[in-house]
Amino acid sequence: MISVRNRAHPAVRAVLVGAYILCVEWARALIATQPRMAIASLVLGGAALGLVAVGWPADRLGLGTSRIGLRIIGGLALGAVLLLPAAARSGAVPILPAGLAAAAVAISVGEELAFRGALYAALDELGGAPLAIVGSTVLWTAAHSLSHPPEFLGAVAAAGLLLALWRWACRDLVAPVIGHVIADLAL
Amino acid sequence: MRGPALLAAAVVTYVVAAWMVAPGFYDGFGPQQPYNWTCPPPQAGANLKPLSGHADIKVPGGVSDAGSAFANDGQIVVGFLPGAFDATGKATIAVDVTPLPTCPQPPGIRFVTNVYHVVASAPLVKRASVVLVYSNLEAAPTAIYQADDPAGPWKSIGAARDAMPFTITTTSASLGYFAGGYPQTTAASGALRIGGGSQVLPIVVAILIAIVLLAGLPLAMLRRRRGRAGVEADEDEAKATSKS
Repeated sequence: MISVRNRAHPAVRAVLVGAYILCVEWARALIATQPRMAIASLVLGGAALGLVAVGWPADRLGLGTSRIGLRIIGGLALGAVLLLPAAARSGAVPILPAGLAAAAVAISVGEELAFRGALYAALDELGGAPLAIVGSTVLWTAAHSLSHPPEFLGAVAAAGLLLALWRWACRDLVAPVIGHVIADLAL
Repeated sequence: MRGPALLAAAVVTYVVAAWMVAPGFYDGFGPQQPYNWTCPPPQAGANLKPLSGHADIKVPGGVSDAGSAFANDGQIVVGFLPGAFDATGKATIAVDVTPLPTCPQPPGIRFVTNVYHVVASAPLVKRASVVLVYSNLEAAPTAIYQADDPAGPWKSIGAARDAMPFTITTTSASLGYFAGGYPQTTAASGALRIGGGSQVLPIVVAILIAIVLLAGLPLAMLRRRRGRAGVEADEDEAKATSKS
């Protein structure tokens, strides 16, 4: 009984965190389809996603400041990998208009805090790293199912898996945040 | 070494998966629908032909109504204010929007959208708004160009700054042929050139994998060493925990 009770709380927390993130992502995808709501939906969506990380210790989110140089280099490398397939084929990558740049930063940071931060930590607590990696990737893909055509979801899932594996292998969220921001700013 | 190996595999998986779809799938900034090309670029996947459209603008009391004409795939929308047409003696004004079946590339201009022909059964007397959707497979256009004949001459009619993502908009005093593009003498505005093309791709991928591993390996090794020593979090992170 004790072990069940001990495991019940992390499970409830993981479900609540996942459900909240999914609702926010789907809501912002629907709002973004309304005229002139693209930027507002991204900024508010990013802020709402970031809220889910409030209350988590920084180390549980992977936000330590040690070896910050390596974390930043890792983020630049992840950004380069995320951009490569588009850049190599198009020859020219459209950079976001200035108005969308701030929104891109907001949603990138918010998504990383939510998916590879709070959700990863909640799932890790519940079932360890395998559940955290697979679960955060599945939910990440589902969260983008309204905003992206179905044929894009394989690539979206692969990006989520890469970022989650980095989070696990390096116990770091700084690099995924930087990589995600770079990718969103350039596309 | 399981972590770095899985990371390398994830890099390869991502590059392959992303390579199989059109670029621009990050966080919904891409167009909601794939662009329908008259002349698809090589990197485009399956392509549908662009659609045409038709609108009848009513003329109650001798003044043409507000209205819009658009291609049925939404790739061009032309909006008209009340009284935009000289509607003398007409009950309705027919407006047709048709994608040009060819892809002219006039000297000095690089078109990155289809060329659309917009024609009405009455002369335009007020400026019409023109909105063109563009693809993420090409650099963003800096202006909409207009001509009376597809052979030219083409003139820039500008672009408004508050357009939605992947749309460009302006107003025009006349109808005719419209396309989005940029002056070819300069690099496209807002475009980051990453040269080389696909020939250098394997080398670039290998370098990127090496960079990710080189950047991630020290972090992963340190984590592993600390894990063996029974230290779950490093000192800085522990401090952060105690502060929070």
